[in-house]
Amino acid sequence: MSDWQPLLQSILIGLLFSYLVAKLISVVLSFKEENLSITRSNNNNYNEPKRTKDDVVVAAPNPRGPEADSGRPHDTESMIAEQGSVRNEESLPCSDVDSDGDDDWEGVESTELDEMFSAATAFVAASAAASSQKVSNDVQLQLYALYKIATEGPCSAPQPSALKMTARAKWQAWQKLGAMPPEEAMQKYIDIVTELYPTWAAGSSLKSKRGQEDAASTDSKAPMGPVFSSFAYEEESGNDLKMDAIHAFAREGDMDNLLKCIENGVSVNLRDSEGRAPLHWAVDRGHLNISELLVSKNADVNAKDNEGQTPLHYAVVCDREAIAQFLVKQNADIGMKDNDGNSPCHVCESDWPWMLHAAKGTD
Amino acid sequence: MADRNGSTGVPEETQNLMPNENAPSESDVSLDLLAQKVQESLALGNRHKFWETQPVGQFKDIGDTSLPEGPIEPPTPISEVKQEPYNLPNLYEWVTCDIDSEEMCAEVYNLLTNNYVEDDENMFRFNYSKEFLRWALRPPGYFKSWHIGVRVKSSKKLVAFITGVPARIRVRDNVVTMAEVNFLCVHKKLRSKRLAPVMIKEVTRRVHLENIWQAAYTAGVVLPTPVSTCQYWHRSLNPKKLIDVGFSRLGARMTMSRTIKLYKLPESTVTPGFRKMEPHDVPAVTRLLREYLSQFAIAPDFDENDVEHWLLPKENVVDSFLVASPETHEITDFCSFYTLPSSILGNPNYSTLKAAYSYYNVSTKTPLLQLMNDALIVAKQKDFDVFNALDVMQNESFLKELKFGPGDGKLHYYLYNYRIRQAVLASELGLVLL
Repeated sequence: MSDWQPLLQSILIGLLFSYLVAKLISVVLSFKEENLSITRSNNNNYNEPKRTKDDVVVAAPNPRGPEADSGRPHDTESMIAEQGSVRNEESLPCSDVDSDGDDDWEGVESTELDEMFSAATAFVAASAAASSQKVSNDVQLQLYALYKIATEGPCSAPQPSALKMTARAKWQAWQKLGAMPPEEAMQKYIDIVTELYPTWAAGSSLKSKRGQEDAASTDSKAPMGPVFSSFAYEEESGNDLKMDAIHAFAREGDMDNLLKCIENGVSVNLRDSEGRAPLHWAVDRGHLNISELLVSKNADVNAKDNEGQTPLHYAVVCDREAIAQFLVKQNADIGMKDNDGNSPCHVCESDWPWMLHAAKGTD
Repeated sequence: MADRNGSTGVPEETQNLMPNENAPSESDVSLDLLAQKVQESLALGNRHKFWETQPVGQFKDIGDTSLPEGPIEPPTPISEVKQEPYNLPNLYEWVTCDIDSEEMCAEVYNLLTNNYVEDDENMFRFNYSKEFLRWALRPPGYFKSWHIGVRVKSSKKLVAFITGVPARIRVRDNVVTMAEVNFLCVHKKLRSKRLAPVMIKEVTRRVHLENIWQAAYTAGVVLPTPVSTCQYWHRSLNPKKLIDVGFSRLGARMTMSRTIKLYKLPESTVTPGFRKMEPHDVPAVTRLLREYLSQFAIAPDFDENDVEHWLLPKENVVDSFLVASPETHEITDFCSFYTLPSSILGNPNYSTLKAAYSYYNVSTKTPLLQLMNDALIVAKQKDFDVFNALDVMQNESFLKELKFGPGDGKLHYYLYNYRIRQAVLASELGLVLL
């Protein structure tokens, strides 16, 4: 049994060693890839506390928030808080005061700058993926830092370990900007992107037209949560209904074309393959004016479809009171039975006093 | 190399890429990041930056049967969970929403009513009622700290919201305490500010603080990686209104008159012994439901307290009916639906669409088809415009026959920090999230 111990030990040592080698390789690799100068990194690593402090005080002359410079540069928390409150007071109400009656949007809503900034970040993300153009590391770090300031504010994250070069460099770039106001950071970000890709805005403004529709549809697709579903549109099939143009015009409420049909000698009582006259279609879709027109052109108010139903049946089933009342006035028969033996009066579920009245009249 | 360089400056939320400071060792992270960046620059798969960093089933692992089912990451000691909230952009602050307070409840209600989920054409927006929110957010053992809001510091206006509620969910043979995460909503005017990831991380942090390490949630979009994908179906109860408001369309060759006749329902229910569920039914319904749900791969593990909360009828929130044998009074069947109205946007004649959503249904003696037809009849009596159902559990067996039509909405179910080897069919899913 005791033989195991040295073996285990050597395995452990081997593992430890190979881990260290791997780490070394990865560090060296990441150096190469980052093209970061070793001297600068070293500098950063070893003079950390002092540099940070200097950076905050010196490298962030901040016209908007003098509080940030004075007093305790160590106390980042309170600096952020002060900065925040200054910003809140200073931020101006934005242009569009319209919309849903919401008040106090001061400093809250997305401004044009916000949108421009979003577009710029999207552009950078896209162009970086395409990577046709090489951007220097310094610029990248600067963009990164401005982005963080714009979206999260001053750096308050703990410093990453010295071994993580990339993270460290990013953290320092962010930290260096101190308490720069987000608007300024957004503007600088946009400026840099514009300098690198003078035409980006043109490309993206083209997109933004489309983008607005996109935005609307992505808005509705929340990242998480329930889904609003409505009926999927299904193409009608298996319905071998045959109808003429005059039925379609009556259905769509297209008065001009309907009149043309009648003038051209099409019968106002022409039936489709289900036995429906144009008046059935007009009533079904709720077009009172078309119904009046058809009746004035001598359409049969008691025309029956293949199921024996009159336009008044349709009006009653579809709960179209004005049309039903009109038809009754035009002598539509409230007692006319369909093939199932139901009269309009019988199928009427609505409480229409004039219908009751008419029913009594016929009794 | 250019790829690598290119992506360094990409303003992706690198901070967000490592939500768990206590996650894997740093060298692993940087190697993983490298691999990830390379992959991203090769593919156009830039869309799930956030979810690729989370302990969720990843697309690349689909079909890898060597991975074990169960938690992806082990729990960490609570003392190692980040104690402070995540950073928000500095105009905003976190607030814990006390939904018991009438004032706070109204604020949450207003935020959701004006900003929550809409359909693709922006014609409808969910309008969860205050009573519904109180019901959904205060189940047995709920945590107030999981009802999270974001306010504007200066005006105190509530601009974002996310919630979790605890639930025991059985995944195959294991009952896991999870958080059901829901009601993620960011004010329309702040959608460009990328608040959603930090809100998800914050609710995750607060869930971890209660020593809970798994979550269940749904989304209309495909994220890494659905455990199941369901479809909504709709049954018109008031077809004329649905057509008038654009919820459904009237085909050019179809008449309104015939459509109305097609969806007509009897005045009263047909099953003898069909009645509203009452408090004394809780034990019997619990037994019935537990037995029924045991056949599904993923389902809630309801006890009597849960049934009392989730299924006892609440006016305008949840309706439950059961069939009690007229002779033995034994409870043999059960059906339920919840009330979720939607605002109809920009229609001069109608402002609200009243929708019933099928919840949990159990049939042992009464055929499911007949039971659900009675559910449709009571929903019609209660003046609902439409009855919606997912194709989960055994619902598929009645959808077509009861004249449900397919919806345009797909709903994907997800588990956080729990891997299952293979997605389950909708019919194997016994879970309905609100």
